[in-house]
Amino acid sequence: MSPSSRRTAPRRPRVGVVKFASCDGCQLTVLDLEDDLLAIAERFDIVEFPEATSRRSSGPFDVLLVEGSISTDEQLEELLRLRRETTTLVTIGACATAGGIQAIRNWSDHGRWAATVYPRPELVDSLAFATPVADHVVVDAELRGCPIDPRQLLELLTALVVGRRPQLPDESVCAECKRRGATCVVVASGIACLGPVTRTGCGALCPAYGRGCYGCFGPRGDANVTGLLAGAPGFDDADVAARFAGFTVWAEPFRSVVDAHGGPPGAMPASAPRGSEDPR
Amino acid sequence: MTTTTRRPKTRTFEVAGLTRVEGEGSLRLVVKDGEVVEAHLGIFEAPRYFERLVRGRAPDEVLDIVARICGICPVAYQMSAVHAFEAAAGIEVDPAVRALRRLLYCGEWIESHALHVYFLHAPDFLGYASAIELARDHRVLVERALRLKKAGNHLVSLVGGRPIHPVTVRVGGFYHVPSRSEMTAVRAELTAALDLALETVAVVEGLEPPTFDREPRLVSLRHPTEYPMNDGRIVSTDGLDLSPTDWEDAFREDQVGWSNALQARTHAGEVYLLGPSSRITLAAGQLHPRAAEALARTGLAEEIRRNPFRSIVARAIELVHATAEALDIIDDYRPPERPSVAWTSGPGVGAWATEAPRGLLFHCYELDEVGRVATARIVPPTSQNQAAIEADLSDFAPSVLHLPRDEATHRFEQLIRSYDPCISCATHFLDLRVETRA
Amino acid sequence: MTQPVSPVAQGPIRWLPLDDLDRLLDALRADGRTIVGPVVSDDAIVLDEIASAGDLPAGRGAEAGPGRYRLTDRGDAKRFDHAVGPMSPKRWTFPPRAPIRVARRTGAGVRFASADARPAPLALIGVRACELAALGIQDHVLLDGQAIDGDYRARRAATFVVAVECATPTSTCFCTSMGTGPEVRSGFDVALTELDEGYVVRTGSPAGSALIDSLDLPVADPSALDAAAVVVAGARAAMGTPLDMTNAHAGLAAAPEHPGWAAVAERCLGCTNCTLVCPTCFCTSVVQKSDLDGTTSTEERTWDSCFTDGFAKVAGGSFRPHGTDRYRQWLTHKFSSWWDQFGSSGCVGCGRCIAWCPVGIDVREELAVIAGVGPVPMPQLRTIALAAPASAPATASAPATASAPAPALGGYVTVHVDGMTRETADTVTLHLRTTDRRLLGGRPGQFVMAALPAFSAAPISISRFRRDGLDLTIRAAGPATRALTGLERGETLGLRGPLGRGWPVEEMTGRDVVIVAGGIGLAPLRPLIDICLAARDTIGTVRLYLGTRTPADRLFVSEVGALVAGGQMDVRETVDRAGPDWLGRVGIVTQLFDRATWDGRNAVAFICGPERMMQATSEVLFGRGIDLDRTWVTLERNMSCGVGLCGHCQLGRFFVCKDGPVFSLAELGPAFTMEGL
Repeated sequence: MSPSSRRTAPRRPRVGVVKFASCDGCQLTVLDLEDDLLAIAERFDIVEFPEATSRRSSGPFDVLLVEGSISTDEQLEELLRLRRETTTLVTIGACATAGGIQAIRNWSDHGRWAATVYPRPELVDSLAFATPVADHVVVDAELRGCPIDPRQLLELLTALVVGRRPQLPDESVCAECKRRGATCVVVASGIACLGPVTRTGCGALCPAYGRGCYGCFGPRGDANVTGLLAGAPGFDDADVAARFAGFTVWAEPFRSVVDAHGGPPGAMPASAPRGSEDPR
Repeated sequence: MTTTTRRPKTRTFEVAGLTRVEGEGSLRLVVKDGEVVEAHLGIFEAPRYFERLVRGRAPDEVLDIVARICGICPVAYQMSAVHAFEAAAGIEVDPAVRALRRLLYCGEWIESHALHVYFLHAPDFLGYASAIELARDHRVLVERALRLKKAGNHLVSLVGGRPIHPVTVRVGGFYHVPSRSEMTAVRAELTAALDLALETVAVVEGLEPPTFDREPRLVSLRHPTEYPMNDGRIVSTDGLDLSPTDWEDAFREDQVGWSNALQARTHAGEVYLLGPSSRITLAAGQLHPRAAEALARTGLAEEIRRNPFRSIVARAIELVHATAEALDIIDDYRPPERPSVAWTSGPGVGAWATEAPRGLLFHCYELDEVGRVATARIVPPTSQNQAAIEADLSDFAPSVLHLPRDEATHRFEQLIRSYDPCISCATHFLDLRVETRA
Repeated sequence: MTQPVSPVAQGPIRWLPLDDLDRLLDALRADGRTIVGPVVSDDAIVLDEIASAGDLPAGRGAEAGPGRYRLTDRGDAKRFDHAVGPMSPKRWTFPPRAPIRVARRTGAGVRFASADARPAPLALIGVRACELAALGIQDHVLLDGQAIDGDYRARRAATFVVAVECATPTSTCFCTSMGTGPEVRSGFDVALTELDEGYVVRTGSPAGSALIDSLDLPVADPSALDAAAVVVAGARAAMGTPLDMTNAHAGLAAAPEHPGWAAVAERCLGCTNCTLVCPTCFCTSVVQKSDLDGTTSTEERTWDSCFTDGFAKVAGGSFRPHGTDRYRQWLTHKFSSWWDQFGSSGCVGCGRCIAWCPVGIDVREELAVIAGVGPVPMPQLRTIALAAPASAPATASAPATASAPAPALGGYVTVHVDGMTRETADTVTLHLRTTDRRLLGGRPGQFVMAALPAFSAAPISISRFRRDGLDLTIRAAGPATRALTGLERGETLGLRGPLGRGWPVEEMTGRDVVIVAGGIGLAPLRPLIDICLAARDTIGTVRLYLGTRTPADRLFVSEVGALVAGGQMDVRETVDRAGPDWLGRVGIVTQLFDRATWDGRNAVAFICGPERMMQATSEVLFGRGIDLDRTWVTLERNMSCGVGLCGHCQLGRFFVCKDGPVFSLAELGPAFTMEGL
């Protein structure tokens, strides 16, 4: 929306917020924009946001915020339909952008997985994989994070109104640690930290609280995980898979690291012998 | 009047996607000849299999993972889990750490209840589709609601690092604790929040609820001196009294034939209800004096127990409690000597129940020889409430059947919202197959 | 030992007992200053506000190695006996985020105003010799050029410096190799050397003398001065044999293809830690903090790093796509091109980049491998504490004592859109009206930074100068340029400039002229063509060669037609590909003259277009006899400030925005064709 198009098109953008398989935290971040929420509700016409309003719409949408990974046939169909109805589709959160923590089951034989939870797994309808939205449709913008950061959300919404590119830098968590003055837990304490290979957006949260980053904003572009494992302290061979098998495990290069180190903890590939992990 | 044989008249009330509830749920109620033959709260979220995801993980990793079961109540999951692991390892935490955990929980209750009262439930009573529309006519009210919610979020951020999926909780304590000056810095905001909470009680006690009277079986934790959050025995209105570790002795989960929800019931097959109304009923004696006073002034304690629509008042009372208790904790706060105690992991079993904003949340973990999770069992409050919700729907229906369909359906939705269902939480999911009755 | 003399010290050297340090701090506070000094926080000695001497890290030391830093406990009462931690004074003089400008949309148009930095008076205590040198380096970079950083100037002027001399370096310290320490020689207001019982106190400025005089301290005993000299000599000796850095400049400049770059790039995580702990790194970006509809936006100058993915990126791609390119840029800039740009090394030997690199890359090792820098046996040194050596780094205690003030960064001028011409589907020429004499007085080849509130500023070449305004020809390549091309008659925008070095029009006198334009490259050449026409009699034959991708991409179509018809220059056009409607030539632009017969030995060439096109063109023209010193190109880089202060647009030792964007091939040398520079 350029300034001139704003003059000729006074209609407020139609916005939808929808959810697939996720915890709801990213949608909640929209409602957590407390100081700005009412202003946002004035600038945008929120036509579909089931958590917050009984007003429903099946489209069309100028902007659609999509939370959650795609795990069932129905979800996939709905996603494809929504994509057709939407001009700017924005994925929000680790589930939508990377498949989420539930993507760990992508390493397992789904049938055996379901059987460990449900006595009658044949009644459970879900795809074998939990996948990011971009695996299925073109995504116009994404907000990373588990959950997304409210300042980044506000920046994205502002950018949509103003017509500028959202300022969501692709840099390491380290850059934000240094700007905010947090002491590096790697250098000063020898703790394992994924910060150098993780994209910032959280404002360098975990290192500022004395723990290593666990990668919930996902790998940054050009992440050198090989260099990290070879050169930084804290990564014992036994631990590596677990450290990278987090909320953005399905994104590369985290996925390959987990593959190279024996898969995520508790993974049940089809070929594994039946043992104590099987149904209770 | 002529006598003629009539075909039985069937009416169906459906909402394919419930709104203003957390998560994806549906409603289907079928009435045949004036009698309710089906009342289903459908939960059709795709499974994420958390009980499976945590296998093979170390306890501290589990704390990060289980938070992601729910974006509105991540603290509850972290608290039930951390207590379960500490029970397994025999860890005692510093009293200051215990106080910080209660403070964290207070923050979550404030945020969650403020969200529900104003954004999810109140619009029903006031005839609006959303709080946003409510704001057009009552902007100041909604702004104040946002301030109250913000105070809750600030409190969670103060102790937990961020309001959703806190990062500071670890087995044995915290990765980092606030300084005394950081604590006192939020005092002013919390004092204002207490006023906002009291105002909330005044607002909601005047909201006229639909008529519905029954004597439900209520369950919650109860502690001799504290209003139940992290600790307490499991009690019920019909005499249950057991340790928070022993949930499985009183309750069970079944996979029902038409769904993938595991519905909880007592071992005798009875339904039961959790949440603010249960706590207020069973633990009224431990309410903070400010909250007890507010409750007494409303005179609605009995109605809270008997009419689920009055849960909005219960939440408002708990908002007063949480803000008042938070202020007390802040005033007494001295940072612990160390943010956490060292501990060694090893085999064992740990179980615990804490009170999430929506009710009792039970976790049980079995740890293997190297201290990693072998099996996990997580029973969220909404899973446990399902059967009672459906029973209530059934019992409530006759009183609204005379209304036009849309209005009756709206009442059913309003009833479901009274329980503040948190559907993403339910680790067991129901895919409702709609049954048509000809 | 003879009485050491400090040429910079003002007045006698005094003594302050250890327990009386608060008297100094109180005096600073009485002056209205906030005091920032070392404190222990989260396992490191960082810099923070202090309330009293009790906040300082008494008895604590620090040991560091590559990728490792640990606090130590000495158990004594000394407060400054530790090596530098992750923070440097830069955090206060050049903060991670500083508002520099406010942009507004008003009823009368867009307005840009500087965000006046009124920094609170500050005292930095515990500043080491390496950090003083770094302050001096940043003073030179940010205050001595034709554009100065007003925020930095204000903060420096408000900062009182209490330096300390190091007693215990750690293994990552190498100030002796860089000639910056451990002796504190200049650039301070007050300097302390800490002994077990107290401080030897020197003053280095009138402000420092005034403060110390007010404390009425006794003169330091000669034995104290001796002890101070021994402490500093000990620090010097502890660092071992210094490296001989004389080879660094030439060695790095000669080694862009060295295999060492690829080797270090495998280890390097691109995490930016080294650049953000470095006290001299000055690269920044501007972040827009706008309200929800973009009517008001505060621009914040924010620490950036050449290691980030977007640092050297433009719409067409990144100039430094690989980790190898970026590491090479950083090390070469720091130890080599900095000399060409600023007359000193960029490194002060503080060692932070070594300690705080998570994987422990050591620049000293990399320099040894790649540039042949190494230790050299040194003759036995006289202890020269407290005396100024021959080559003191350029430092200034406060900018107030610097030479004549340089012109400030300059704000945006609001100009009006009188009209616009659509050139192609994505390119528009805005006809702008202004009375600003600086803008109107620009030269062909110069550019402006064009801005709208809440958008990042875009560097746009001026495509025509008129008596009452100028033209900008803009391609909508992203949201910012799209917003600019969407402006309509009567609307306003902000321009900063004119910037850069333009075409050397005087080179045309008495010579033949060859102009080659590829695509939108014709835009910066148009004002040059205007000069050719105006000064036609002073110039020989003018040949204009134009190439575009397709006929629809041609710019200034009617003007080109007029040039063809006018006969004043030989105009030839081609397109890379065309449909049946095109009756002209098809082929790449070099085909217009690669079989020409004219002799270029008395010609000067001006080329603008995509880099590959400019490279190919220059080769053909060289074959025609046009030497490298008579071939001029204009380069594109990711420009952010446009005045050589933000570091983004560097190409080897050049800042494309201020040393260019016009360059001769002779001065560019291999930088013109090397990949990833």
